Amino acid sequence: MKIFLLILNSLLLISVSGQVNPQPAAMVKIRGGSYIPLYSKDIQKTEVKGFEMDIYPVTNSDFLAFVKSNPEWSKSKAKSIFADSSYLKQWNSDDSFNKKIAKSPVVNISWFAAKKYCECQGKRLPETAEWELAAKASETKADASKDPAFNQWVLNWVTKPSLSTLPSVGTTYKNFFGVYDLHGLVWEWTYDFNSALTTGESRGNTSLDNTLFCGGGSFASKDINNYASFMRFAMRSSVKAKYCVANLGFRCVK
Amino acid sequence: MCKIKKPVMKISIVLIISCAAIVMSCTKNAETKVKSCCSKEKHTEALKELSGESVYNLSSTWTTQKAENLKLNHFRDKIMITAMIFTHCESACPRIVADMQHIESALTENERQQVSFLLISMDPQRDSPSRLTEFAEDHKLNANWTLICSTQDATMEIANVLGVKVKKLENGGFDHSNIIHVFDQQGVIVNQQIGFAVEQEETLTAIRKLIK
Repeated sequence: MKIFLLILNSLLLISVSGQVNPQPAAMVKIRGGSYIPLYSKDIQKTEVKGFEMDIYPVTNSDFLAFVKSNPEWSKSKAKSIFADSSYLKQWNSDDSFNKKIAKSPVVNISWFAAKKYCECQGKRLPETAEWELAAKASETKADASKDPAFNQWVLNWVTKPSLSTLPSVGTTYKNFFGVYDLHGLVWEWTYDFNSALTTGESRGNTSLDNTLFCGGGSFASKDINNYASFMRFAMRSSVKAKYCVANLGFRCVK
Repeated sequence: MCKIKKPVMKISIVLIISCAAIVMSCTKNAETKVKSCCSKEKHTEALKELSGESVYNLSSTWTTQKAENLKLNHFRDKIMITAMIFTHCESACPRIVADMQHIESALTENERQQVSFLLISMDPQRDSPSRLTEFAEDHKLNANWTLICSTQDATMEIANVLGVKVKKLENGGFDHSNIIHVFDQQGVIVNQQIGFAVEQEETLTAIRKLIK
């Protein structure tokens, strides 16, 4: 068994080192913990194992390197079932964009494209629970979800329209774990964004509809003071995987 | 004595169960080799003339109830009536299947020859070819029905292509959208019937438009 694992391990290493990206984006460790989903039937915590997260969101120039080695994901070639017509709208062509946005987070990117990008780095998109766990850290605390000042700061950002030219990555704040820009720059895709179910579905399961309607919904939620978390939930439940949105980017984990 | 024996027993049981789970789960059956995502996929070439909207642009490998591996473009040239289900599902999925059977029985013999039925598992961990076979038998599905399962990633991808929301629950089940999709002969979704026991006229009209 051990030998088998060793062989497997070395195979994995080979396949990872064989990836095209010469400089994998720097990552930091996020220690495991628990996350309480916004809508859960009882006080059900989701246990999240430790993982590594990209320090910065993926930038336009990062994504250009990916497109160069995977031309089927270029602006003109991406299949419409995987990316809508806004795909990489901020780029001038398949391989160029205004230099000013080189270090800005890549946006107008579909879930399919984001997922493929992470796969090609030997990484993956974060689960919503992982993303939320990392994102509840302020500059000084691993869990600032009960910190009114932090929540207010996040809320101030989400209620402000995005700038037409997005700032570079690393310009907002560095959190307790060493991750930048989890709030304050762009929304980010999660692997299981499509688990945010809204009404009219899952009729076989009564746990759902009654917890999701307006008033009832907010009281059933576990985090009623954290308005920003409602906005993220709403964002996730309103998008489809091929949507390309002007303030929705991503980062990878492993 | 008991103290020593018990943990050993436990471990071996756990091992047996986990081994069984590995053998049984669909993930193992479908393509398990490490994805070389950066290498160009051969089939992209073959599907050149395929519409960008076609579901058959997905390159994932699936395993059928007969334990045969296939890619989704296997179903090309047929009109496909499709839904995502899981075999442990007690209430919603049997109703979706019943609705699909209603559609089947509303079609004429001639129409049925151009139509196939496809059930896609959303539960790669627990569904396996044998589970799918059992499900097919329980629901008296004929030879014109195919049941498939694949890896977690492929499952997530197709759910997102179809716009099916899937939320895994603590008990192993899922909250999910109930949608019956109609694919044309090129794999483009032409109709989605959302919910149960709704008027099927629209779905039937969509199918009949595609009949040659």
